[in-house]
Amino acid sequence: MPSEAAPILPPPILPPPILSVRDLSVGFRGVPAVRDVSFDIAPGEIVGLTGDSGSGKSTLGLALLGLVRQPGRILGGSVMIEGVDLLRLPEAARRARRGSQIGLIVQNPRGSLSPLHTVGGQIRSVLRAHLKLSSVQAAARAVGLLRQLGLNDPERRAGSYPHEISGGMAQRVLIAMATGAGPRLLVADEPTSGLDVTIQAQFLDELARTSRAAGSAVLLMTQDLGIIANYCDRVLVMQDGRIVASDRTAAFFADPKDSYSRTLLSLAYAPPPVPPVAPAELLAVRGLSKHFRLRGSGKTLQAVDRVDLTIGRGETLGLVGESGSGKTTVGRCVLRLLDADAGEVVFEGKDLLRAMPRDLRVMRRRIQIVFQDPLDALDPRWTVSRILGEALLRPDPRRIAELLTLVGLDPAVARLRPRGLSAGAQQRVGIARAIAAEPALIVLDEPTSALTPMARVGIVALLRELQARLGMSYLFISHDLNTVEQLSHRVAVMYLGQIVELGTREQVFNAPRHPYAKALLAAHLAPDPSHRRVDGVQAAVLAGEIPSPIDLPPGCYLAGRCPVAIESCHTTQQPLYAFADGGQVRCTPAAVRAGVIQRQADPPGRVLSNTVAA
Amino acid sequence: MLSFIARRLATSLVQLLGLALVVFFAIRMLPADPVARLVGQNASPEAYASSKHALGLDRPVLVQLGDYLGVIPGAHGLLEGDLGRSWVSGDPVASDIGRTLPVTIELITISFVLAFFISVPLGMLCALRPGGIADRLTFSYSLFAGSQPEFWWGLLFIFVFFAVLGWAPPPLGRLDPMLSPPHAVTGFITVDSLLAGNMITLRDGVHHLMLPVLTKVFVLSGPIVKMVRQNMVRVLGSDYVLYAQASGLSPSRIATIALKNALVPALTLLGVLYGYILGGAVLIETVFSLGGIGQYAVRSVLAFDYPAIQAVVLVIAAISLFVYLALDVVHALLDPRLHA
Amino acid sequence: MSDSAQIETALLDLDLQAHTARPVTDLLFRLGGAIVLASLVLMLVGPWITPFDVGRPSDDIMVPPPDLADLPHLLGQVFTGAPHDPIHWFGTDGAGLDVFSRVLAAPRADVAIAVGANLFSLITGSLIGLLAGTARTWLGALVMRISDLVQSFPVFITGMILVTLAGRSNATIVVTLALLYTPIYVRLTRSEVLTQRNRGFIDAARVLGKSEAFIALRHVLPNALAPAMIQASVTIGFAILMTAGLSFVGAGVRPPTPEWGLMIAAGADGIVQGEWWPSVFPGIAISITVFGYAAFGNGLERRHAK
Repeated sequence: MPSEAAPILPPPILPPPILSVRDLSVGFRGVPAVRDVSFDIAPGEIVGLTGDSGSGKSTLGLALLGLVRQPGRILGGSVMIEGVDLLRLPEAARRARRGSQIGLIVQNPRGSLSPLHTVGGQIRSVLRAHLKLSSVQAAARAVGLLRQLGLNDPERRAGSYPHEISGGMAQRVLIAMATGAGPRLLVADEPTSGLDVTIQAQFLDELARTSRAAGSAVLLMTQDLGIIANYCDRVLVMQDGRIVASDRTAAFFADPKDSYSRTLLSLAYAPPPVPPVAPAELLAVRGLSKHFRLRGSGKTLQAVDRVDLTIGRGETLGLVGESGSGKTTVGRCVLRLLDADAGEVVFEGKDLLRAMPRDLRVMRRRIQIVFQDPLDALDPRWTVSRILGEALLRPDPRRIAELLTLVGLDPAVARLRPRGLSAGAQQRVGIARAIAAEPALIVLDEPTSALTPMARVGIVALLRELQARLGMSYLFISHDLNTVEQLSHRVAVMYLGQIVELGTREQVFNAPRHPYAKALLAAHLAPDPSHRRVDGVQAAVLAGEIPSPIDLPPGCYLAGRCPVAIESCHTTQQPLYAFADGGQVRCTPAAVRAGVIQRQADPPGRVLSNTVAA
Repeated sequence: MLSFIARRLATSLVQLLGLALVVFFAIRMLPADPVARLVGQNASPEAYASSKHALGLDRPVLVQLGDYLGVIPGAHGLLEGDLGRSWVSGDPVASDIGRTLPVTIELITISFVLAFFISVPLGMLCALRPGGIADRLTFSYSLFAGSQPEFWWGLLFIFVFFAVLGWAPPPLGRLDPMLSPPHAVTGFITVDSLLAGNMITLRDGVHHLMLPVLTKVFVLSGPIVKMVRQNMVRVLGSDYVLYAQASGLSPSRIATIALKNALVPALTLLGVLYGYILGGAVLIETVFSLGGIGQYAVRSVLAFDYPAIQAVVLVIAAISLFVYLALDVVHALLDPRLHA
Repeated sequence: MSDSAQIETALLDLDLQAHTARPVTDLLFRLGGAIVLASLVLMLVGPWITPFDVGRPSDDIMVPPPDLADLPHLLGQVFTGAPHDPIHWFGTDGAGLDVFSRVLAAPRADVAIAVGANLFSLITGSLIGLLAGTARTWLGALVMRISDLVQSFPVFITGMILVTLAGRSNATIVVTLALLYTPIYVRLTRSEVLTQRNRGFIDAARVLGKSEAFIALRHVLPNALAPAMIQASVTIGFAILMTAGLSFVGAGVRPPTPEWGLMIAAGADGIVQGEWWPSVFPGIAISITVFGYAAFGNGLERRHAK
């Protein structure tokens, strides 16, 4: 049979872009913040915009709505939304379009809500500004939106004030306000900063799902390349107010063209740290517990619940968890900045918690700390040289210069005060102070969380180099799984004061066994577009939010949210089971599945030895 | 809320009691001798002793205290609301205060309200264009006004508006000496005149209040403008105002949100300010001879009139505490963050 | 808030502040500083540089100041060193005393009292505040209750009472003002100490093995003192106002000491008759001086905040 000539199809008609920006420029009294920016966004697309701080992303985001922070000015260009140039419209028309055609979500969700008005009332105001609704109708609509966004008990939530709700809930309120009137374009400016990892994943999943379903477009501005890899179709990079790169996601991550992104991704693509072979035990924590009594209600908050962990010489133990996990408290108890209620912290053979003050002072120099807030960790009235001198037994200018060079700073910095340094430099000074005392162990409490991604890369590289050179151990406490992966040899996952999984980095990151660890790792957004979360099926999803650490249930703390919980999980405390490969998991169903045990085990809190299945 | 108010009332009462005790003992421990003041330097020992007995100062201190508080059987004291008798006029102190306090309250309240209505819009306008000419001028003005000696400005205004321009009446009191005051219901000239339908005294009273109020408003406006402006700048630059704009809310709605957020935190401070000027009304009253509680206080202090001194301190402190409480309640009602 | 946004916002905030603050405050700050300096100089040497003797009454009663038209001529005489009659730049008062001289000599009382009182209350208040902030909770609460009690007294009236009943000497005025102002410093320092105690560098010092005493003296106190010093500038201004006010009503400095409030009171009656100069010039002096302290303090505050 002769083949028919293939019909000549007309070229596919691409839908016109929802957003079309041309030569947009914004300046602040002569200082340009956004320079001649041009790009398009098609319907249904999620476009990521990234760039270092100060690159102008937030200013650009606001300018897309025709807004600019005082004393800035939009200097020129056009912002075409569905064919109409927003910047050429009179203010009243612009206002009509803000919220109804183009919506904005910002970071700092609680700060973006008026503290004196109810959350429901604020959603109502926005709805009534754009839709013809009566007050009653708008109130009902607001409640409906909150329910859709996954808030349970939305009627009660609508009557609460911003300071009464969590960050995650506040962000959902912002979504309700931004999308309530059904805009076609959503500009999301760092919408998940400050949110816990699992909440972040929930939020971004919802965002992607709603926009895809409505055929609307999203401009997602973030410095987190993990978010971009997992959710965005295209990537734009801004530097000094200009767009310096524009690419499809896969191509971008395969070969980033601009220097900023190359630096950021360098660490992600660098080989992971090699663990020391059979290290001697340096620190052994056994049964560490700490609770706080709340003033007023008299209730107890169990911050740390019988934690056991060990760190060998030259080894890095990563301690991860979300808010309320107790990881920071563990760090403070190990340093005896807080007095633990029970347990022992055996360091170089001696129990720190029972040491006499004089011995303690000597032992203390062997464990040092690096803090989360670099500026807060330095006395603002002291010079860098005096700060480092405090850590030395005798202030020695040569040693100080040596230390500064070790952490990658110019020795001339010694004359400056902390305020004169960037956050990254301040953190390096903090690290220099920590190593000045020649410690065997450094506790790093979220050392990179307050830094820009650029600075973060530098600090992580520095920490790796220092460990290789000086051979000290790290207790690396963080909620940022990317940096934990780049630094740790072994990892412990904490949830509501307990360690739920412990193992080598490969074990925990590649094959987590505890349901919480699974959900956490699944929510972890790696800057790798090959397994995108938005495209895949989300298994291991945990329902709801992290409960309050005050009224804890009798059984497993995760039972209420866990997809694999069985009857006994709700009633009995789960012990920490040891698995054959050296990992430890606090979950009976997981242990049963792995063949570690056959039946219910007893006394909680002790690590049980393996019982081989018959 | 009710328990909050109840607790604050209880604390305030304890505070007032503490105050009363401190004043009682403090003035008796200081070297000044009221007896000598009364009988003169050259009195005979008998006259001195009889005078001392008449004033009750020859009794042990604790007995005097008991009498003052009214815990001694048969004595009328603080617990019954009896503030004692003035050693200068012989009248019950309570009636002295009843006569003089309204004068001060009238002056302070009118000045405060006026200052508020002038300063708040001014502060808000400046906040709209921070760094602009109006803002810089107003900032300098507020810094200046808040640091001025008001008694001197009172005199200056008298000189300009009375001596030179003749617009204001001579600083001889609340009313023209020829006029008789309206029937005292509240003690406020303005209110009593209105109640009595007496337009003449109303107009004259207001005329006499012009300069004192002008002086007080001048000085008060300094700190109020500064505070309102500061709050308003903070609010206008806040994320929630920006977000409200991004959500497309109308300017009037945003203005309402901004105003509420700017003024509510200022409430407690306004209360403190009110309490402060209540005690400081002394100077203006002296300059304009208004006959308020401030002037009464001066007279009592200079005459070493213990009962009057004790009463004045107590009354003014009580009013201040009451004002703080009222404003704190309003603040708590308006600001949900204080509900916890 | 993410760091980029935080930094961007912070930059914008600083920019905003700079635009709102800089041109005015720099000028005001320097002006204030100059006035403060001048007042302190006069406090020290005022009585020695007066053209006339402030204690000796003369017969030139109520001589008005020179006419504006004559001023250039008179100034010329002074600067060229030409011999001339002694000039009453501000006129004379009802006792024949030269107003200009008395205005220059008054800071010896007004400013000295204000500075002395504040020095005393700053030191005492800061130490008490440090104690209240570092001691056990019940002790700290007790100290604050006492401090609150002192603060609930009506300031001016209590000042009048204490000064008058304790005998009106400069010393009693200093002590009274110090007593009334101490709670301000207690509250301020304690609040600062409580904030500083949780700062990272405090923990860092502990982890380095430093003793609590070292930490309190070398880290906490220096950082907690800064706001108190700034407050001092403003409070000194208030103290000057209060001293003048007390003297005005007769409950302060005793005549015939040159003091601005006394001078205003003495000349008050003359105002109505148009004899303005004995009251107006001392008032201008107070006005400028207190404004200077306020502006200086305001400028210090902005510098500290940066």
